[in-house]
Amino acid sequence: MSQDQPDNARPFDALVIKIAHDKDRSAFIQLFEQASPRLKAYAMRCGATAADAEEVVQEALLTVWRRAHTFNPVAASATTWLYTIVRNKRIDLVRKERPDLVSSDDLWPEAYTEKEHLEKEIESDLNVNIVRTLLHGLPETQRQIVYKVYFEGKPHSEIANELDLPLGTIKSRLRLAMKKLDTLAKEQMTWLIIILLTNF
Amino acid sequence: MQFAAGQMSNSLGIMVACHLEKCHICSSRIRVYEQLGGEILQKTTPVEMGNDVLSKLLSRLDEPAPPVQQMTKTIDPRIPRPLTRFVPSYFDQLEWKGISKSIQEYKLPISDSQFSAKLYKISAGKELPVHTHKGNEFTLVMDGSFSDKAGEYNQGDFILADTQTVHQPKAAESSDCICFAVLDAPLKMTGFFGRMLNPFLS
Repeated sequence: MSQDQPDNARPFDALVIKIAHDKDRSAFIQLFEQASPRLKAYAMRCGATAADAEEVVQEALLTVWRRAHTFNPVAASATTWLYTIVRNKRIDLVRKERPDLVSSDDLWPEAYTEKEHLEKEIESDLNVNIVRTLLHGLPETQRQIVYKVYFEGKPHSEIANELDLPLGTIKSRLRLAMKKLDTLAKEQMTWLIIILLTNF
Repeated sequence: MQFAAGQMSNSLGIMVACHLEKCHICSSRIRVYEQLGGEILQKTTPVEMGNDVLSKLLSRLDEPAPPVQQMTKTIDPRIPRPLTRFVPSYFDQLEWKGISKSIQEYKLPISDSQFSAKLYKISAGKELPVHTHKGNEFTLVMDGSFSDKAGEYNQGDFILADTQTVHQPKAAESSDCICFAVLDAPLKMTGFFGRMLNPFLS
């Protein structure tokens, strides 16, 4: 894979695009090799067994293969796209045999995500690197809690017990982390407004 | 953040999805949180895949794709898409159960161990008795509007009431007010959801 060293910030974009355009199996294999161990790790950290995690990864990558044409690199990086797919597959696996439970289609209707390209355009270009810098810039104490929210979905009280910290501390650390991210979202809104204004 | 992480309880998840359909500020936040998810994904320590997974996967590539689920059309434009599976037709055709003359409820069949989800209909111009809540109550205004001493709430607005809230909602004179409410069991909530979701707070 040395001949086309992927862009560091968006390692999977080129592969997904190749899959979309040419149904390129070798690109798919590369994507599998590079991404699946992380996808599996994500599913396992969310509580799946190794076997279930592999199932989730398979389903997610099949979706990538079938739906690669809907990937819009302007909208989000392929990493973000992959994340949303694997997140949804994980939810759907848990809920497979329970139709009364909510599925990922209920939560993230496809049409809804596709019609919103305008706003998404702003997101990707400006933000991929900012989000990364932000995540890295968070103090370890805050980052640790953000990770717990993403992987474990634990109530804050439980996180507090685990880390042996008062609940108030957990909440304030998370609040600090979210504040930084929210500022980013707000900036995005500002850009959206500017772009809307200049378009009309 | 919990919504973007896919870790939110069912009823609240649906409610957030409904709100996102209306609220651009919150949906742009969610996208930032999804990017964060992508970043976290890249930072995880990889776990080796089983040997046969790739070949299994490759052999499945040619399987016909399952039909993409047709987006259910919302018949009643007041019903947000995430709710259509639970409220398939019009609000008016639901079996509303009267609590009193001024308020009726319909229990939504969303299974959730932590929360119960309901629709409330407050008749136009009617006022509810002053009340507070045993736990947290998340409310999303679906149609019409209501007001209490803290202000007026319109379609798409998101309100969090808790044990501290004492209020007396009153529906606007012009039409019935329909709200989507998610109430928690005795379980304690942190109030953090409200902070994240309420666009007015920041």
